[in-house]
Amino acid sequence: MEGEYTEEEFQIAKKEMDQLVQDSLKGREIKPNVMFAKMSDISRAISVSKGLVKWARVNSLWPMQFGLACCAIELMGFGSARIDAERKGYLLFRGTPRQADVMLVAGWVTKSMVPEVKRLYEQMTEPRYVIAFGECATCGGPWFESYNIIRGIDQVLPVDVYVAGCPPKPENLFEAMIKLQEKISGKIED
Amino acid sequence: MKIDRKDLLSRIKSMKESGYSYLVKITAVDYKDHLTALYFIRDISKNKEELLEVDILSSDAWLPTIIKEHTSADWYEREMSEMFDIKIKGRKSGRLLLEKWDGLEGPLRKGFAWGEEYKQM
Amino acid sequence: MPITKINIGPVHPSTHGVLRLAVYLDGDTIERVEPHIGFLHRGVEKLAETRMYMQNHPYMEKLDYIAPMAYDEAYVSTVEKALGIEVKERAMYIRVILLELQRIASHLFFVGTIGNDLGQMFTLFMWTYMDRDKVLDLLQEATGSRMFYVNMRLGGLVSDLPPDFEKRTLETLEYIDNRVKEYEAFIEKNPVFHERMKNIGILTPEKAMDLGVTGPVLRASGVQYDVRKNSPYYIYDKLHFEMKILTRGDNFSRYKMRLLEMRESIRLIREAFKMMPEGDALGMPVKLRMPPTKNKEVWISREAPKGELMMYMVADDQKPYRLAIRSPNFVNLSAIVHMSKGLRLADLFATLGTLDLVMGCVDK
Repeated sequence: MEGEYTEEEFQIAKKEMDQLVQDSLKGREIKPNVMFAKMSDISRAISVSKGLVKWARVNSLWPMQFGLACCAIELMGFGSARIDAERKGYLLFRGTPRQADVMLVAGWVTKSMVPEVKRLYEQMTEPRYVIAFGECATCGGPWFESYNIIRGIDQVLPVDVYVAGCPPKPENLFEAMIKLQEKISGKIED
Repeated sequence: MKIDRKDLLSRIKSMKESGYSYLVKITAVDYKDHLTALYFIRDISKNKEELLEVDILSSDAWLPTIIKEHTSADWYEREMSEMFDIKIKGRKSGRLLLEKWDGLEGPLRKGFAWGEEYKQM
Repeated sequence: MPITKINIGPVHPSTHGVLRLAVYLDGDTIERVEPHIGFLHRGVEKLAETRMYMQNHPYMEKLDYIAPMAYDEAYVSTVEKALGIEVKERAMYIRVILLELQRIASHLFFVGTIGNDLGQMFTLFMWTYMDRDKVLDLLQEATGSRMFYVNMRLGGLVSDLPPDFEKRTLETLEYIDNRVKEYEAFIEKNPVFHERMKNIGILTPEKAMDLGVTGPVLRASGVQYDVRKNSPYYIYDKLHFEMKILTRGDNFSRYKMRLLEMRESIRLIREAFKMMPEGDALGMPVKLRMPPTKNKEVWISREAPKGELMMYMVADDQKPYRLAIRSPNFVNLSAIVHMSKGLRLADLFATLGTLDLVMGCVDK
């Protein structure tokens, strides 16, 4: 019958699913490529000398959408027609963390969701930044006394910029991304 | 109307035969010495609604299942049993909303000690 | 063929929210789907017991974040029934106008995300989000905020409508009326849309009542139930309100149902503006002590854009003793277990999209 299963079966199904995801992540080995090693040496030399690579890194930040709750609606408003995010270089709200630079955490994070957040953060390639969008990701928000949430995403991840508001208007996020760009290029001290 | 736990299944069966075929909600209230389970059932063609109340003791909390008459009672019963720590007999239960490693049993009861982590901050 | 298990994890590039589906596949056909929910559970019903009546408004609004005013209004009506307070007449007309504007905004969001679920990312969404921004501008003039408007008080509203609101609303409604006709024209000329949505995910009326679904999902299957018609509240019995019913019960009828409801809302707002009386619309200000309780155990039903919302409250001295919320999205999601037998994997997302879910309301 649909829907009727014991608690052991539920736990077994959950363990199988977690195992499936972990196995798919484990067997990935990237053999070092000679050309790749040479390119990374070259790019490290360039970035130390504050040149072309740094200019490219500052001016084309690709965000990864991690909209969980109400702030996700304002995130979609940030990418839509009135306040256009693409005109400043923040293209293509990606679903995959492999191609993204900035992780925009929008919404409250519960205890069930913490392993997923950590796993996605570790899958992003360096250099990577995190913006805490909204009050629930900053300090827990109106659900401060609840039994099931984390009070602020900075108990789990290192955060660069905090945006206040419930929900913040999309113009606020625009200013936050500009501040992040200034922080990367070294104009503002940490 | 108030009914007993042993009359619940037969009453719901007879109500379904006389037209009350839409289950709206199953929930419960915790008065401190006893719990009250609430069943909201509606007759759509005649536009009437009925509320059944079942009193059970807090230390002996179990209820029979009505999943054979109404299929929508599946998720409602699981949510009620998880939030109030009531056993549902006659079906296999499963958790819906909370993880087991949290150690939470029956958060919506009045004696649940919550907010302790935030008081220590 | 052996059965493969696929995990469609909590983070996925659709716009519904945080939902984990465990799909058991036999080749390309689905054998069983198990939804795992609870990634957004924060205990709203428990938190509402520790706050006084007027402090609960932000909690109720953040349940459904696409149409928040419907949930706030349901909570205020529950408290008014418990304390025995009557609503002023001009306030009733203004509440109905703002609620129908909220319904238009919510259904425009649905038309945008159905494009996301069918595979073409964000083109249709950009068009409809632009229209939704215009409706949110109107609501911002009336209440002061774009998304969470706490503008209901016991017996009325916080403030009356600004001057010239009627003229601007009627201009915006005419613009949206033309846009809805455009959407219907170019979406329904597309043969791929017809192939993917007709005769898929069929719900018969008896099974729909057994599963307990509500809202446009129920009316697209042929069951005649709408809270605004069967047990009318405010002024819905004075307006000429027609209930729309479609009988086929597949994805296409559920999509078409919401377009018809949008047209009905536009007509209701125009009629309400003509009939609105002059007078006072302000509600009771926030005081230190609310009047004493008259009815201890109350429950009401309202028609939110997603379905039927019912709130049950046991009232204590200055705060609720127990607040139970019957959310429409919870029941609509549990119907996917039955509807998904025999579908292909790509049809699963089209069906899930027409149910119009908001995950904040599923795990309260």
